[in-house]
This record gives sequence, structure tokens and C-alpha cells, in this order.
Amino acid sequence: MRGSKTVLLATAIALVCAGVAHATGDAPDILVSRQLLEARDLSVGEVVSLSASRTGESPRPFHIAGVYEPTPDPMRLTHKHWSVRLHLSDMLELTADPDDPLALESVSRINVALVDPGDAPDFARDLHARVPGLFATPAAEKDATAFVVLERFHFAIAIVTVLGSTAFLLALMVMRADERRETVGILRLVGLTRARILLTVLVEGLCVALAGAVVGVLFAIAMEGVFNAFFQWYYDTALVFVHVTPGIAGRCVALAVPLGVLAGLVASWTLLRRDIVALLRR
Amino acid sequence: MIVEARGLGKVFPMAAGPVTALQDASLKVHEGDYIAIQGPSGCGKSTLLHILGCVETPTTGSLLFDGHDVATLGDFERSRIRLTKVGFVFQRFFLLPMLTAWENVELPQGEAGASKSERRDRTAELLEYVGLRERAGHLPSQLSGGEMQRVAIARALANRPGLVLADEPTGELDEATGEQVADLLDRVNADGTAMVVVTHNPLLAARATRQLEMRSGRLFESGGAS
Amino acid sequence: MRPLFFAWRSLTRQPARAVLGIAGIAAVGALLFDMLLLSRGLVLSFSDLLDSVGFDVRITATEALPSSGPPIESVSEVVRTVKALPEIDDAVPIAFGRGAVPGVMSLDLIGSGPTERNVWKVLEGEALPSQEEEGAEPALVVNRNVAELLELVPGDELTLTAIGSEATALPKVVFVVVGVADFYFDTPDARTAAALLPAYWRAYGETRRDEADMLLLRSSAEAGPESAVAAIREVYPDLNVFSNEQFLTRFQRTEFSYFRQISFALSTVTLFFAFLLVTTLLTVSVNQRFAEIASLRALGFARRRIVADLLWESALMVGTGGLIALPVGGLLASRLDTILKAMPGLPERLHFFVMEPRAALLYVALLTGTGILAALYPVYLAARLPIAATLRKETVS
Repeated sequence: MRGSKTVLLATAIALVCAGVAHATGDAPDILVSRQLLEARDLSVGEVVSLSASRTGESPRPFHIAGVYEPTPDPMRLTHKHWSVRLHLSDMLELTADPDDPLALESVSRINVALVDPGDAPDFARDLHARVPGLFATPAAEKDATAFVVLERFHFAIAIVTVLGSTAFLLALMVMRADERRETVGILRLVGLTRARILLTVLVEGLCVALAGAVVGVLFAIAMEGVFNAFFQWYYDTALVFVHVTPGIAGRCVALAVPLGVLAGLVASWTLLRRDIVALLRR
Repeated sequence: MIVEARGLGKVFPMAAGPVTALQDASLKVHEGDYIAIQGPSGCGKSTLLHILGCVETPTTGSLLFDGHDVATLGDFERSRIRLTKVGFVFQRFFLLPMLTAWENVELPQGEAGASKSERRDRTAELLEYVGLRERAGHLPSQLSGGEMQRVAIARALANRPGLVLADEPTGELDEATGEQVADLLDRVNADGTAMVVVTHNPLLAARATRQLEMRSGRLFESGGAS
Repeated sequence: MRPLFFAWRSLTRQPARAVLGIAGIAAVGALLFDMLLLSRGLVLSFSDLLDSVGFDVRITATEALPSSGPPIESVSEVVRTVKALPEIDDAVPIAFGRGAVPGVMSLDLIGSGPTERNVWKVLEGEALPSQEEEGAEPALVVNRNVAELLELVPGDELTLTAIGSEATALPKVVFVVVGVADFYFDTPDARTAAALLPAYWRAYGETRRDEADMLLLRSSAEAGPESAVAAIREVYPDLNVFSNEQFLTRFQRTEFSYFRQISFALSTVTLFFAFLLVTTLLTVSVNQRFAEIASLRALGFARRRIVADLLWESALMVGTGGLIALPVGGLLASRLDTILKAMPGLPERLHFFVMEPRAALLYVALLTGTGILAALYPVYLAARLPIAATLRKETVS
């Protein structure tokens, strides 16, 4: 029988029917995905029938020994996670083509864990050379690309957001500096140097930027919960969509604080460049 | 008669307790009147001026403008009175900083619906009148205090009001400049516009044909009874 | 002085603030525009892709995607039966498998039934014949990648072995390359070859005889795809029959839903950001101009005029930024599309960001609504300003 046996079985799950076909002790154990358990109102300990045929022919009884959470896969996010796990021998018996004498010894895929994962590409090449017709693919190669693409996409979005935020920040700082025009003029009149005033602006800007960055990170952490809760509910998955790591938080603070301070300094400098009379004049 | 105030009272509710700014103030302003109101700071002069100009509503009493009770008028009607029948001159000029002298004077005319040619002619006439025709294209920041006040007076006259209300018009000016502005106000009055001026300046007050005094929210004839 | 002109002068009195505010709106607007393009981009692109193949109805054995589910068995009979239906003009069985040029490369191997209409676009040489010549080597069409890698031209021979889960060794089959074609659903690095179904079945050692993964059908002009689907479902209720539109609807709900969700989330965030930006800038601006506003009110400007001035100011800022955002958004969309198209397994012709008038209209509507909403609070502040108290305060200060 061709095609992924795992997927065939997934198809056949539609025909799972609850019931005690044989004595529980005879039925081999299986694990059922949480989503399937909930969707079909199954329970651990129940005996169900599985068939490898779309039409439900030749069903066999199996005992639900437990529930598992399917490994969240972003590439299969929208798929229904209705699946079961069987012992390989049970799987082969269930799906074997009776006309194929070697069916009970055939699998569609073998997962290999290497002592050194870095050897994966060499191992794949070597295997193909030794056993033509057998194709080995390093798992990381295939899976990493999707994540890398999404990361780049989100990074591009983040850059645009930061640019917009910077414009916003600068606009506010310019307005704030203008509000203080008269105050700055008086300070200059009294004798304070530009550098002295800039230092005040720097310290003030640093405090505000730090406070703002911390509040921003805390808000992001709060929103992390909201986003994950929503998407996990929507897609019925355990996949974590948003995760604010210490590294990410650190990067955000490292970007926000200098931006905030710089914006304040730039806005204040445009003011300090003007002469005192211009600053004091209405 | 342009304006008649009858028993005006104004109480400001404050956190520390109500403050009575005006008590039983009555006044009649006729065409061509030049009235100066003097008094110490906080006595209610500006409050009276604001009520006369329909900027503020009285707590008690009534105000008749051209015979109409202002209390019966809505916000839009009161705005129209201020736009077409009253001109305001403020101590701090309150010119719009992003508009030139010409544009500041033209502004109320446009709002009143004057045509482009009418506005052009009137603005030129007014700037000529106040002696600032050659400064028409200058922003307020490029004018002196006296010049700004003259532009403000021109703006107040833009829609040919029957009454000009001036709140400390020379308050921010030096003596010489203040004299110039006072002369201008005299001319405005001589040309037929009624004037009510609130001032600390006794020299300015002396130019009025009628002098009133304000004490603790009450209005008195100067040196006499209210 | 008209409110628009007045608003322009108010905005430009502080050029730096105006430019920065507009730049902020432009950045945020570009992102919003792109998210609106993304919300339906995949669907539109996929729809174009499906339509370009020239068939508007499809049949698979189950709801699983073709080649990931069980095959349609006795496909020849199914084809004969559906072709006989008046609602159907043409039916082509398609099988998907894997093959290898022994010792050289693996590739996708497609088996196709005969059709007058090419399921792929022939670039060089000829399409597959309607049937194999007796005794002759079977015909093969390859894609550009295969042709370039193996330096093939029409007329060359190519030996292939099918790859499957069959336990027995599969035979080598010698094909004659008759054409080089563009396969619509190919990924950029795909290696694809197609042969007629009998040759495909032979390559699989007859283990897949009379099976296909999908039937491509074209409905008759009079009936249309929905009637065709209904007619086939009556005859074959157990098969999964769907029109292109139904297929798209499913993809919208499932495979494409992640990008719809992302676009919705980001659209909301950008709108909120634009709202915050405009409302903050306008509010600070109004706060700085209390004296001016009070003096205008004292001069006789009605509340509605002040409100109009502020709304125009908001409109100018949002409108200018919004306009600039369109070309910026277009460039950004192009860049983001390039990034996302690197996702493995995606057809090269598929795009995530597709320009459509609906997105532009929605963009204008959303930005306009945001501009108006954002102006509400500063408008409220200005309209409710106590004139006399403000004048007094300004005079004293």
C-alpha cells in the first residue's frame, strides 16, 4: 500500500467507532491525540475500532491507553490533529496489503538520531551512495527554512514598526521641546551652557526612556498571554505563537532606550541652536 | 443703545468656595460712548468685559444686545454677535502666530462671509488706518509689541463692529507705545465706534468720556455712587 | 479663510512636527496597506493559479490533499462516467509520485490522462501525445530545472525509476523527452517530469494501475462548476468533489488562515498606532494653542468652525501620510512577498501580496475613520474650552 501509512490511518480515524469489540485484554494499546479524544468524545480505557480503509473495512479493536498532545507544527497549523499512535507491529498488521509478501516488513520512513547531529548531511549523502533508491534528508534542513522565513517576515514588520514609532517619538519630543522654549531661553539667559541643559535633557530622557521600555516589555508580556490564548484556542494547538524571551526583552530595551534618549537630545538640540532672544520671543 | 447690562452678577464656583466676581453691575453703552473702567486687580473688570462681549454668561442679571436678551441666544448666535457687532482687543494681543498681519486682519472677515474683493479692500484700509500697511506681510514674531497691538485693533475693527471692548490694551506696552495705541483708540471712537476700555492706566482712562470704577465686583461712577 | 487653508497653516507652523507626524502615519499606513493586501493576497493568487490550469472542478478520493490521501481507484471508469455527464466538457486523471534518474537526482513524477488542453505550459517542443505509440518509448515532458540540469532537449532519452513504498524493486523505464514545460504549481527549485498515465503505471510496476490522485474537470459553459459538482456528487457520493471556489473557501479557512489572522492582528495594531499618533499630536497641539483657540472664539468663531479646523488638520496629516504610504507600502509588499515566498513547498507563481482595488478602498476607509476618531478628543477639548477662563489664565501667565 503506497502513500504515507500515517496519513492513511489519519483518514481512517473518521471511521473510529466506540464500542467493545473484544475483551479489553485482547485489544492492543494505542494513544489518541487530545483533539481526537475531544472531538469524538472518547475516553482513556475505551476500546475503539480502527480501519485502514476509507470505507471502514476489516476494522480491528484497540484499547485507548492514553492521550498525547501532538507536537505543534507551524507548517501543519490548520490541520485537524486527529491521529493515533500504535506500536509499529500493530500498524503494519492493520495496514498491510495481503497480496504483498513483504508488507509486514515495509515502512515509509525511518527517523535516525545521530550521535553528532552535525553529521546529518554527510550521513544522508553516504546512505544514498550505499543504498540507491533510499533518500535521506536532514530534518533540520527542511524544518529550519519555514522558521527562518517567518522570522525574516516578522523582523521586516518589526523594522517598519520601529521606523513609525521613531517618527512618532521624534514628533512628540519636538513638541515637548517647543513647549519648553521659553524655559530654555530663560535658563540660557541666566547663564547655563548648552551642554549643561543637554545633560539635564539626557538624564530626563534616560529615565523616561527606561521607564517606557520597561512598561513596554511588561505590556508585551501581558499581550503574549492574550495572543497565545487566542491562537491556541482558535487552532486547537499547543503551539506557542508569541514568546518574549529575556533576549528579546533585552534587545527591545537596548533599542528603545537609546532611541528615546537620542530623540530627546535631537529635539532639544534644534532648540538650543537658536539664539536666546529667539527663544524668549513669543 | 448698543448694550444694556442690568444687575449683572457672576459667581465662580471654586474648590475652596464660590467667588463672587461681579455683583449687581448695570451699564448702558450707547453709540459713540467711550467708557473706561478702572479698579484693582481681581475686582471683576475683565469679567464684566467678557460678559458685555458675550464671551461669558452672567450668573444673575440680564444683558441686552441691540435690544435682544443674550440669555435667549444659543452659542452660535452669541458667536455671530462677537464676530459682527463686537471687536475685542486683548492685553496680550492674541494674534495668530502662523498668520501674517494681513491674514490676521482678514480672518474675521472671511468668517463673516465677506467676498474676496471686500476682504482685500477692507484689510488694506484697516492696515493703512493703523499705520502698518507696509508690514502687512510680516508675522507677529516680526512685529514689536505696539505694532502687534495695532494689528489687533485693526482685526477688532474688521467687520465694522459698533462696539470695541479693550482689556488692558496698553498693559504690555511701554509709555510711549501705549500713548500711540491710546491715540489710535481715540481715533476709533471719534470715527463712531463705541468703546469700553478696562485699564489700570489713569492716562488712558482720562481719555474716556465716562469713567467708572470697579470695587469688589460692584460698578461705581468714578468718585461717586454706583 | 477656509478651514482647509487654516488647517494647512496650523500644521505647517511647526514643519518638523508636521513632517514627523506625516512620516509616522506613512510608515504605519504602509504596514496597514500591506496587511490588507496580505489578508486576501494568497486567496487571490491561488485562485488565479487554479484558474490558469484551465479546469474548474476537481475530484479526489477523500478530503486529504492530492497525493497525501488514498487514490481514486478504477479511475478509467470514473473518467468515462463523468465525461458522459452533460455538465462536463473534459476530465483528466492526474497521479502524483516521485521518481529518480538513477544515481543523479530525484524528481516529482506526474502521470496524466490525455487532454486537448495542456495542464502545463509547453515552452519548448511538444505536449504529451493523446496516446502512446505501440512499441515506442513513452513520451515525457520535463520542467526547466530538469532540462537545464540534465542538458535535455526534445528528442533526448531519459531513464527513470519510480520511487514508492512498494517492497519490490521498481523497473527502469526509458522515456523520450518530447517537451520542456512550465508546471503551474512548481516550486522554484522543483524538478518535475510528466508522462501519460499508462507509462506512469508501468514505472510503478503496475502496482498503481488504474489509480489516480485527482481528476481535473472542466464544466460545460451552460452548466458551470456548481452544477457540475452537484451532478458528479449524485453519481459518486463517496468521492470528494469540489469546484475551484469551494477549494479556495476551504483553503481560506484552513491553510491560509494563519496569514489572515496575522494580517488582522497587525492591521488592528497599526490602526491603533495611527489613532494614538494622530490623537496625541493633535491633543498636544491643541493644548499648546488654548490661547489662540480662546481668542478665535472671542473673535466670533463658532464652535463648529473650530471643530472643522481641527478635523481638517487631522485629515491633512492622515491624508498626506496615507497617500505617501501607498507607494511605500507597494515597495514594502514586494519585499515582504519575496521573504515569504522563500517558504518551502510553495509554488513559484503564488504570491502573498496581491494588489486589488478592494484593499485600497478598505485602506482609505479605515484610515479616514481612524483620522476622524483620533480627532474626537482634541476636538472635544477645543470645543468645550471656556473662553473667558482661558483668556484670563493666559493673561495672568
